[in-house]
Amino acid sequence: MTLVYIILILMFGGLISWIIAGKNSSLAKGIALLAVLADLVIIIGFWISVYDKFDLGSQQWLIDYRVEWMPQLGISFHLAMDGLSLLMTALALFLGAVSLIVSWNEISKNLGFYLFNALWLIAGIIGVFLSLDLILFYFFWEVMLVPMYFILAIWGHENRRYAGMKFFLFTQLSGLLMLIAIIALYFIHGKNSGQYTFDYFALIGTSLSAKTGLWLMCGFMIAFLVKLGIVPFHSWLPDAYTQSPTGGSILLAALMSKTAAYGMLRFVVPLFPEASKTFAPVAITLGVVSILYGAKLAYAQTDLKRMIAFSSMSHMGFIMVGIFSFQALSYQGTIIEMIAHGISITALFTVAGVIHARIQTRDMDQMGRFWEQVPKMGAITMIFVLATLGLPGLGNFVAEFLILTGAFKSNVTLTVLAALGLIASMIYALVILQKIFHGERRKEWKLTDLTPREVLAMGCLIVAIVWIGIYPQPVIKTAQPTVNSLEQNSNNTTFVNDTGPTNKMTLKNGDENMTMTRETSTFFLSLNKKGGGK
Amino acid sequence: MISLTGLNLILPQLIIALAAIIVMLSIAVKRCHRFTNLFTLLSFAAAAISVLYIPRGSFGVSSLFVVDGFGKFFTVLIACAGFVITLMSYHYLNAREKRNEEYYILLLLSSLGALTMVISNHFVSFFLSLEVLSVSLYALIGYLKEEPAGIESGIKYLVLAAVSSSFLLFGIALIYMQTGHLDLSGIAAGLSSSGEFSGVFIAGLAMVIVGIGFKMALVPFHLWTPDIYAGASAPVSAFVATVSKGAVFAFLLRLFYSTGGLENKNVWTVFTIIAVASMLFGNWLALRQQNIKRLLAYSSIGHLGYLMVAFLAITDRGMQAATFYLVVYFTGMLAAFGTVIYMSNKKGEALYIDDYRGLFWKKPWLAAIFTTVMLSLAGIPLTAGFLGKLYLLTAGTEVGIWLLVIVLVVSSGIGLFYYLRVVAVMFAGKNENEASSEPVIGKIFPHGLVLTLLFLLLLWFGVYPSSLLEIIQQIASVIR
Amino acid sequence: MPVNYYIFLSLALFAIGIVGVLIRRNAITFFMCIEIMLNAVNLLLVAFSKMHHAKQAATLATAGIDGQIFVFFIMVVAAAEVSVGLAIIVMLFRNVHSVNVNFLNRLKH
Repeated sequence: MTLVYIILILMFGGLISWIIAGKNSSLAKGIALLAVLADLVIIIGFWISVYDKFDLGSQQWLIDYRVEWMPQLGISFHLAMDGLSLLMTALALFLGAVSLIVSWNEISKNLGFYLFNALWLIAGIIGVFLSLDLILFYFFWEVMLVPMYFILAIWGHENRRYAGMKFFLFTQLSGLLMLIAIIALYFIHGKNSGQYTFDYFALIGTSLSAKTGLWLMCGFMIAFLVKLGIVPFHSWLPDAYTQSPTGGSILLAALMSKTAAYGMLRFVVPLFPEASKTFAPVAITLGVVSILYGAKLAYAQTDLKRMIAFSSMSHMGFIMVGIFSFQALSYQGTIIEMIAHGISITALFTVAGVIHARIQTRDMDQMGRFWEQVPKMGAITMIFVLATLGLPGLGNFVAEFLILTGAFKSNVTLTVLAALGLIASMIYALVILQKIFHGERRKEWKLTDLTPREVLAMGCLIVAIVWIGIYPQPVIKTAQPTVNSLEQNSNNTTFVNDTGPTNKMTLKNGDENMTMTRETSTFFLSLNKKGGGK
Repeated sequence: MISLTGLNLILPQLIIALAAIIVMLSIAVKRCHRFTNLFTLLSFAAAAISVLYIPRGSFGVSSLFVVDGFGKFFTVLIACAGFVITLMSYHYLNAREKRNEEYYILLLLSSLGALTMVISNHFVSFFLSLEVLSVSLYALIGYLKEEPAGIESGIKYLVLAAVSSSFLLFGIALIYMQTGHLDLSGIAAGLSSSGEFSGVFIAGLAMVIVGIGFKMALVPFHLWTPDIYAGASAPVSAFVATVSKGAVFAFLLRLFYSTGGLENKNVWTVFTIIAVASMLFGNWLALRQQNIKRLLAYSSIGHLGYLMVAFLAITDRGMQAATFYLVVYFTGMLAAFGTVIYMSNKKGEALYIDDYRGLFWKKPWLAAIFTTVMLSLAGIPLTAGFLGKLYLLTAGTEVGIWLLVIVLVVSSGIGLFYYLRVVAVMFAGKNENEASSEPVIGKIFPHGLVLTLLFLLLLWFGVYPSSLLEIIQQIASVIR
Repeated sequence: MPVNYYIFLSLALFAIGIVGVLIRRNAITFFMCIEIMLNAVNLLLVAFSKMHHAKQAATLATAGIDGQIFVFFIMVVAAAEVSVGLAIIVMLFRNVHSVNVNFLNRLKH
């Protein structure tokens, strides 16, 4: 039930703050923030209480909640949480809270409706992270679309309606293709086993012919690729990221894109192990292309938010590479990348929002030499710019390093190309710093430094990114059972048909995994030492 | 032979027929809009409730009618739609027309036509109910005397409907030639004995398809729809969009499922082409509409195309999907036209999308309802439209009619454009237009109440439709 | 007389009706054309009814009777249709003082 409460608290919080906002706007904001924070406390409390259980893949699933929803169609209300979804939920709540704090004063028009949309969006995202019924998953997948559309189309910048429409159409259409794939999978499973259900655990063992598997996987992948903003499907991304209000950009870039990465980890790889192996070279190529192309485009931008948007696209490429390398290390890297990228992109969009709020422009050609006026902002930006370009000691480095190390085992050429992205990212990331905070002063702006509220939000982000950079162990440990089962999936493509909520691993497997974990963590410790030594 | 014991089986139809006569007589005694409206409401409610007193099972009432679960379900659906339309008409007619009582006679009669159509099991009863429905609709469409567009669309509908009925009749005659029967079971028997479909029979079916396709406004027989919707008063447009189309669709299901006409490859292909064209053209043509009623007209063409996907699946699941989607479609369309009525004022209806500009900031609840309706028509989750579309996709995927499934997906993508456009306008900046500040027809009671109810239904079917699904699963496999 | 003759005759009548509806612009003519089409169907139904009767009279005395009954219904309906239609045309005439449907172009967007 905890999982249901987490979602319900957000939904009711949204409703209440909408109702209250007309009378008392700060109370409404307070309630919205409180709802998110309450959830965050619940999740972190839960994390601490189960933290010891992550030792060595005893059980992948921590909570499993299932009630019948539409039994006539085999749809159930099935929420479950494992290490991966725990991490993602915590991230969603943390960044959700940050997004509320940083856009505290940004939204004045129709505040109540904004809060409602923001909270329902977070609820939808968390629903995506938790649902294990494919229709329920799709349900949440779409539910998060509508509030995001409203946030974009109502409170966005000058070109908001176009961006909103584009965003909605891309994601909705690709989502429908996924829906067809889901339904087809349902029938194939039903015809094989006689049991018509959309339940994840039941469907996971469906045996598919190579061709069918590939088609179905493409249905899923299109939805995920679009939402992740990978190259041929990215055209909505810069518009949507740029035109959103700050809070919306954060939720969109830091959280919604992660739902796609999560979807690949949770659904594509386990449901279609063979097909995803077949597809892997294409996927990695797309990832590498996104890394390089995103970096190139980022470098060419003068619009600050657009530049951040393309940098985000470039990082999403790493996630693709990580997932489709099918290595434990790269899976871990992917999960850390999801978290670290979420944090750093949040910070960068916050900076963009803060600057935009002060000088009403996002054009970097009109900025310059801000450091003298706003040293705090400059210093904080620097930290996250360094994180983006992958400075050791900060979260993104760990992630990208792990991904590349893992990927190296599966495809050398492409990994080398992907690694070039690190260099490219250095160029565009430093441009941000150079153009805005250094360089020559192009215009006289009256700037005020960060307010304590903004400093507080940024402080939280700094703590988080440094923590992940220096001591990623809790994340790795939490994600380990999930990673184990993912790896098992991809190494072992013939399944036992009944993969219940318990992770069926023999003792021997468990031993192997134990060494695996130890390997990973020792590797890490040495890595951190090296990083710290520099 | 019809006996008195069989009368309870057609109780809803009798109630509505009686109500029409009583309303007519009451007008002769004294005109009273309020009484007429209330009485019409009561008779629709009574018709819906009387279904409970019909025993379970499938009964033939003479050879003309068959009363089964499917027919009963549609009877309730149509009676409810009639109820809602009557409720929404009251203030609207008060504002726009002086003599309103005859409106209710016509409404009751056309509903009677629809109610008898859904239990028809014979071409004669089908034709008669179709004509009762249509002839009353001619008058309903041209009802507002002050409105030249109404008369124009009345004539248009009259001519086209009459032509299409002649096609239908010609088709029926050809089928009669081939099989020697006019009742559906006889046709089915005649078909199975002769085996192959002969050319004459297929020609007959094709002409029947023309007639039925016209009533359901499927492409390429759709040309009348936008004009009629735009010209008729909004409650009548709602009636045309829901009751008239729904009833014909119900008979279409009965006709082709019980006679097995769809098993012929050619017939199936023709229907596939019609369905694809309806989905694509309906949604495509809706894109450029500025007039919300025309937009809804094209959108309804698209929706009927979606329904054809379920129809073409020829499975129990297809039946269920079609029935469920029809319920969703009824609710959505009624709510959409209800909003148009609510926004109208004495001078005219809120026809243009721009009339809704900034609605969200003026009337947040109305805008929220309209947004939900649009999202439901577009098929976004949390609304009934999504589950309806899911059901349709399921039905289509089960039998692997990929072309139709893909077209369904693509055209709902196109559909998103114009639904979202309406939504976006409602959330856009405030409207400087003076006209919008005039008093509107909508009142909280009963109009706001009905809209809220429909809104809640859309959410209910969208979030927890188990009870509805159960009913549908019980009734929807009976036909074959 | 073979039934084909009836079919061709009624097809011809039906075609005349369709062409009339398509090319004429007078509302009254429309109704006449529709009447022709309906009567073509009536002819057809009576012919088929007779045909079926001739075929099955030995086994079933009432064979083919439903077709003839249908014809009566069609006649009644045609009358009803025309009466409502004429009423609407009268309304039209009051508005535009013509029964020419070319005046009807308000609905073009």
